[in-house]
Amino acid sequence: MDIIKILENTVAALFGIDAAYFALAAIGLNVQFGYTGLLNFGQAAFMACGAYGLGMTTQYFGVGLWWGILIGLVFVVILGLLVGIPTLRLRADYLAIVTIAMAEIVRLVVRSVRFKEYFGGSDGINGFSRSFRDLSPFNPAAQYGIRPFRYSGYSFWTIIVGWSLVALFSLLVFMLMKSPWGRVVKAIREDEDAVRSLGKNVYSYKMQSLIIGGAIGMFSGMIFALDRGSVQPDNYSRDVTFYILTALVLGGVAKVRGSVVGPMMFWALYVFSDNFLRELTKNQPFEVFGFGLIQKSQVGPVNYMLIGLGLMLLMTFRPQGVFGSKEEMALDGR
Amino acid sequence: MCLTSTNRIIGDQVIKTATARTNWIALCKAFAIVAASVFAFSSAAQAEESGLSIVASVQNQTIDDGVATKNPVSGVSIAITTSTGSMVGEGVTDSSGTVTISVPSKDSYVVTIDVSTLPDDVTLIDESKTQATIEKDSFTTNSKRVTFFAGSSTATGAPLVDRLAQRLVDGVRLGLIIAISSVGLSLIFGTTGLTNFAHGEMVTFGGLIAFWFNVLLGVPLLIAAPLVIALGGVLGLAMNAIIFAKLRKRGIGLISQLVVSVGLSIMLRNMYLYQFGGRTRPLDDFSLQVAKRFGPVSITMRDLTTAIISLIVLVLVALYLQRSRTGKAIRAVSDNPDLASSTGIDTQKIIRIVWFAGGALAAMGGLFRGLDEQVGFEMGSRLIFLMFAGITLGGLGSAYGALIGGFFVGVLVELASLVVPAELKNAPALLILIIVLVVRPQGILGRKQRIG
Repeated sequence: MDIIKILENTVAALFGIDAAYFALAAIGLNVQFGYTGLLNFGQAAFMACGAYGLGMTTQYFGVGLWWGILIGLVFVVILGLLVGIPTLRLRADYLAIVTIAMAEIVRLVVRSVRFKEYFGGSDGINGFSRSFRDLSPFNPAAQYGIRPFRYSGYSFWTIIVGWSLVALFSLLVFMLMKSPWGRVVKAIREDEDAVRSLGKNVYSYKMQSLIIGGAIGMFSGMIFALDRGSVQPDNYSRDVTFYILTALVLGGVAKVRGSVVGPMMFWALYVFSDNFLRELTKNQPFEVFGFGLIQKSQVGPVNYMLIGLGLMLLMTFRPQGVFGSKEEMALDGR
Repeated sequence: MCLTSTNRIIGDQVIKTATARTNWIALCKAFAIVAASVFAFSSAAQAEESGLSIVASVQNQTIDDGVATKNPVSGVSIAITTSTGSMVGEGVTDSSGTVTISVPSKDSYVVTIDVSTLPDDVTLIDESKTQATIEKDSFTTNSKRVTFFAGSSTATGAPLVDRLAQRLVDGVRLGLIIAISSVGLSLIFGTTGLTNFAHGEMVTFGGLIAFWFNVLLGVPLLIAAPLVIALGGVLGLAMNAIIFAKLRKRGIGLISQLVVSVGLSIMLRNMYLYQFGGRTRPLDDFSLQVAKRFGPVSITMRDLTTAIISLIVLVLVALYLQRSRTGKAIRAVSDNPDLASSTGIDTQKIIRIVWFAGGALAAMGGLFRGLDEQVGFEMGSRLIFLMFAGITLGGLGSAYGALIGGFFVGVLVELASLVVPAELKNAPALLILIIVLVVRPQGILGRKQRIG
């Protein structure tokens, strides 16, 4: 077993592109869930908005990359209104049900044969990232950085852009939550009726929060799509939202640093567990007393089982995660 | 794989020698003879004397002015596996749209079409039917024919009324399964306030346990069914005792409990994947059925039986809730737990009963769904969204609401597939969900004060 290699991969995952796009999605989810108490289970759909907005620019509209942000925002607002209007007046679990359903429908629509000409069906969309590559100041053939942080020119470029966006939105959300707007949404999380009695339009604030969080999630989808160079519908399944939620809870909800450090820890743990189990089962199935426990092909499910178990344990024994505080959590049913 | 290459060669040779217009029977015989002679040299001991083959054919059906024309679809990958999942052979359809794959013995096989190898503009008529099951007894000759039809819709030629009737029947079947599966979801919500995202996994559990008994242990399904349902109830009890009762005791909020149930759902689903694998597989018993026609509608005896059983069970559940002491207590706890416990009802006991009954009914739904479609690790989580739509429509927390709402959602989803493409037929359920929440958020039978 190559311990050094596993540890290197684990450390590299802390600052990898996966952690960056998870962090962006988690910052968005944190605005909705952590600060406002909205249980958005469809963050993957907002990410898909960004990815498809970007993918459709060059493919179908023949416009530049920057228009992708605008198209994505239009998608986000439409989606936010569609799920927000019926549910934001109701209890939190209704929003959860509708957003999860919506995310599933979005995925089915973009991968359907019927709308293949717009969204590319199950093949998705490719070949839109060229102008983004051209912006890169780095030589794509060269390697940058020192081990274990060693990247090709293009990866280095997406990682830098990704983490810059994380820094930018962390700062924005931090300032937003210090502003009067932030105080209102936090008050909504604590006691909606009290805020209403002060003459604030709770419904409108919740909608703004949903769309702002969705828009930040949109950038996450964009970074992900640019890194892979393609948009695949199955990358935006409902489980992605749950993994992001797990990462957020791990870091600590209602804290900006929780939403950034949580995804980093999540990916480090995931990569460690994945690499470790793969090394363990590389030559023969992992056995305990002659009883075959994990085969090579079962490493994937075992990892995800651990994520599910981790989410349950976190929520039960340490719902505030690493940085959060228990007082700041919207945990009773509203 | 050697089987693949030989089969491709056989296909080419036959096409070269036989003209494209040769009728099917002759072609099948030719396939069988060539296949037999090739396999005489192969090292597969079993295949030597069998000479058996399965001919899979993919036909694209187009209808012009009520006249159906069939066009062969070439280049589609077909795989044959045994009923336990081990690979027997695979091949690619030739220009006549067929491929012949030899099988070692008269046994049960599953023929799977790889939809991704279909040409871009061609889809299967029934997109859920990517597999066909062949029974041991159906080998009347040495070759067995399986046809996959591609085209726009099952019965495009049939009049709208007939198609409507057929969809209605299919919808009633789906609706009954959803109603049975979601009673527990609604009752658990009513008595404990928990929105249980792991309920879909309780449905899957029923299907998988049925598969374990029926296929792996060889227990006849009629004997296994009560065990499956009882074990489903035990799973419900266990989930309550190990997780959710403890969370309630610790005073953990409902939103936290909801997130815990999400974690549980992820964990259980991946446990199923770990144990069962990613493929869907049929149950052994009752898997080969001949559809009977009743006027414009065709239904197999198996589906008719499960539908009637579901209906009886639903009526019994409703009667139980209406008449029995425990049923009344359940409704009382659903209504107002504090008031109920102050009248001397043992709330925790009622909650345990609800978890048991909910788990048992969900397992039963999973068993029926497994008979209807096939068993797979995601079969329940695909349904959860329809179940949520159903119980929201009926009124969250109301038991009768779950029955009515689930049934209605099933019917609507099937009827909608007349209008929307089959791959999107779940989308109208979301539409109902949104309309209900805007117009009458408490659902058909819910009370208003629970919502705000």
